[in-house]
Amino acid sequence: MTTAWVYAELAGGVLDGSAAELLTTARTLADEVAAIALGPGATATAADLGAAGAATVYASDDEVFASHSGGPQAFVLGGLIEEHRPSIVLFPGSYEGRDVAGRVQARTGSTLMANAIAVPAIDRARTEIFGGMTVVDVQLQGPEPHLVLVRPRSVTAEPTGGTATIVAVPAEIPEADLGARLVERHEEAATGPKLEEARVIVSGGRGLGGPDAFAMLDALASAIGGAAVGASRAAVDAGWVPYSYQIGQTGKTVKPDVYIAAGISGALQHVVGMKGAKRIVAINKDPEAPILKMADLGVVGDVFEVIPALTEEIRRRSGS
Amino acid sequence: MVLFVRRARPRLDVLRTARPDGRTDEPGVRARREVVQVLGQRKLFQKAVPGVMHATIFWGFLILLPTIAEAMLAVIDPAWTLPYLGHAAWFAFLQDAFAALVAIAVGVAFWIRKVQRPDRFRGSHMREADLILLTILGIVTSLLLWNASRIALGYADHPSAAPVANALSGLFSGGRGTEVAERILVWTHLLLVLGFLTYLPRSKHLHILTAAPNVYLAKNAPSGYLTPLRIDLDAADADVRFGAAVATDLTRKQVLDLYSCTECGRCQEVCPAWATGKPLSPKLLIMGLRDQVVAETSAIVAATPSGTVELQPLVPNAVTDEVVWDCVTCGACVRECPVDIEHVDTIVDLRRNLVMAESRFPPEAGAMLRGVETAEDPWGQPASARTDWARGLDDVHVLEPGDPPPEVLFWVGCAGAFDERAQATTRSIARLLIAAGVEVAILGPRERCTGDPARRMGHEYLFQILAEQNVETLNGAGVTKIVASCAHCFNTLANEYPDYGGDYEVVHHTELLSTLIREGRLAPGAGADGTVTYHDACYLGRHNGRFDAPREVLHGAGAATVEMPRNRERSFCCGAGGARMWMEEGGDARINETRFAEAAATGADTVAVACPYCFVMLDDAAKASGSSVRVADVATLLAASVLPEPAT
Repeated sequence: MTTAWVYAELAGGVLDGSAAELLTTARTLADEVAAIALGPGATATAADLGAAGAATVYASDDEVFASHSGGPQAFVLGGLIEEHRPSIVLFPGSYEGRDVAGRVQARTGSTLMANAIAVPAIDRARTEIFGGMTVVDVQLQGPEPHLVLVRPRSVTAEPTGGTATIVAVPAEIPEADLGARLVERHEEAATGPKLEEARVIVSGGRGLGGPDAFAMLDALASAIGGAAVGASRAAVDAGWVPYSYQIGQTGKTVKPDVYIAAGISGALQHVVGMKGAKRIVAINKDPEAPILKMADLGVVGDVFEVIPALTEEIRRRSGS
Repeated sequence: MVLFVRRARPRLDVLRTARPDGRTDEPGVRARREVVQVLGQRKLFQKAVPGVMHATIFWGFLILLPTIAEAMLAVIDPAWTLPYLGHAAWFAFLQDAFAALVAIAVGVAFWIRKVQRPDRFRGSHMREADLILLTILGIVTSLLLWNASRIALGYADHPSAAPVANALSGLFSGGRGTEVAERILVWTHLLLVLGFLTYLPRSKHLHILTAAPNVYLAKNAPSGYLTPLRIDLDAADADVRFGAAVATDLTRKQVLDLYSCTECGRCQEVCPAWATGKPLSPKLLIMGLRDQVVAETSAIVAATPSGTVELQPLVPNAVTDEVVWDCVTCGACVRECPVDIEHVDTIVDLRRNLVMAESRFPPEAGAMLRGVETAEDPWGQPASARTDWARGLDDVHVLEPGDPPPEVLFWVGCAGAFDERAQATTRSIARLLIAAGVEVAILGPRERCTGDPARRMGHEYLFQILAEQNVETLNGAGVTKIVASCAHCFNTLANEYPDYGGDYEVVHHTELLSTLIREGRLAPGAGADGTVTYHDACYLGRHNGRFDAPREVLHGAGAATVEMPRNRERSFCCGAGGARMWMEEGGDARINETRFAEAAATGADTVAVACPYCFVMLDDAAKASGSSVRVADVATLLAASVLPEPAT
């Protein structure tokens, strides 16, 4: 009887969507499918894991899994593997999945295949090479269990509606196996929506003359409501805004409904990142600026006059 | 001697087992280079004082070689010496003169290292260099004193032929004490020489044995040429290789490069990445790789031809990822290196492995690779837009399949077709050619990226696909002569496409324009206002030796020109080569802004360029600095002077 295991990742006590995808794949590979869920809230996810196809869920709700980076998970998983000898263990290709899989590999000495897009057979993993131009199947050799990191959203989850038996696993981790302790979690505070998701983007370039002028764009974005602020490479290179603002060839590619380009000349480097916008509004004092040729609405004028006036008008009409 | 062989053996074993690279064609060219560069010390003289210093020690070393045999005979019996040479007055003179000159040169070397302290030595092994210099000093000093004692004892045939030793002979009384001193000195001399020989194989001074073969094996092709890495997906698994991952992937020349480095740092001094505060130094790169190869010597020898000994990946052990990606492939290091180390080729080989085997590269460059893959241009623009620049230029002929072969094909390039600044250059070139009565034939939507950015990035497979497709199109259209406006396209078409079945006469637009001026087909018009400084594009200039044509065109445009301190072969990159155009830049300063500042400091009103990459980079720098200095292509400046109506 072959057994396939799935490492079910939890984020803040909530089951990650990858677990159901991996269980769907695991069911095609083995007669018996189990999931491993570790960390606060793990036992509670057993119902979801059962519905997604796991017959057994090895779970521990211990805090130690949330307060360390990969070490405790690898220790527990390594022990379980030794005890139950599954044929294959699937991990999500996430930061945590990669962290744990690598540590488990170091413990078990088995084969680890990264960046798989599918697992067509128990000893085969599919991956892309040459930047995705060619798809190849890789034969998994060496001692079992084979460890495979599967890229998220490679398969669609198909629930079975089953239930799982919960097996509680102890979380007694020797000091030496704890690894790095998580001291602090910090999420980059982003005001407004993500650039890639925003329906309206207000973007600034060299024509803004300095970092202070971006406050003007922030004001316009908040007047519009739900708009994001971006920048051209020139503004980022000048150090006015961080790289995360950059739109263009070497930055983000965006496709908003409306893109407002303020003081951006429209160099090719920038244009390739925003040409997918449905409507482009450009404000530039240079009537020859290439951005004006591609804009649906081009305003030849001083951004320091146009932007505040526009902000004022939007505020007036929206009655705020 | 036995010790020397035992210590040199592992080095030789690594070289023997390294991948062959077939660098033995055109022996005449190689022999000539050997004479000019090794015997003539040409590249060393690029720096005057260190050049003379080194040449003196090197020539001294050659001339004093027979002296070793002399000393070996003399330790057995003071009366024994070499036949003929041991009795020749001219040889006594040369020996004496060069021993003294070498001693002086060692003094100069110490002066350079201890007083002048150039920055190029940062990261080099200074103590080791001191030890080597002191040993050389000991060898020549003991030789002079030994000869002096022989003169005092009356053993010398021609005392007056050796003025330095003769003068020193006054130190010796000529009695029994001198006889003992003579014995001690000859033994000292010989032991120093043999000790030096034993020390060599494990030292950075090994170059005295490896430099000559390294120069012989150097690339005969222009330095812009990269050796193809053929990727055949249908070949047996074992034959597929994706660049240099571990030490056994290095070619013989690449290993010899590592053994040949003396850590002189001339490469480091000219490297744009190092100059702008990035971690890459070509010298430190070579030293890092060398240290790993030395450390893994026994594993390397055991691993070939098909063993499975564990070798550590070269990246990030020998050099970090950042170092590999900092390179602009400008070739300044290669050009400067006195022993012809080919840093750029090795860096590209490291990149090939990272990109093709590991998909590991700066993420922002991914858009370029995707663009080249899917749309066949780095910006992902539609092929139909390739002729947009020609709107209103009715005489531009877009070649359709089946059209008669053009006399010359204008290779527009992706930047020339899509970038609005480069489009101005493209239009200028087309208008000038039309004015001179040259038919302007382009491939239009059938032109693809040459693959240069993908290749310099390490994606050899993508390059190979594009090269094969472009060659098919070009050969199908019966093209025999191409004029290219982009220096990178020019290099790829001229030097690299022959490997893929594309043999064309390729000229750069500045060459064609200068010919048209010379033939009187473009009449010089009014001189441009102000002065112009010309920025040499690496892939036109240093990599391909095209220095004069762009300057002739500027002259034809009636421009008053001024040169930057770093020009021609020693020009400083704009920062865009090696696919750096599509990557973000770290470090203390930006390469393009550094170069622009140098251009602006000449007092010129215009910076002339001859490559769209240089154009974009320097123009960005000009705008960022708020300077009034403008950047324009040589062709645009010529068009403004020669053509009646203003360029649009």
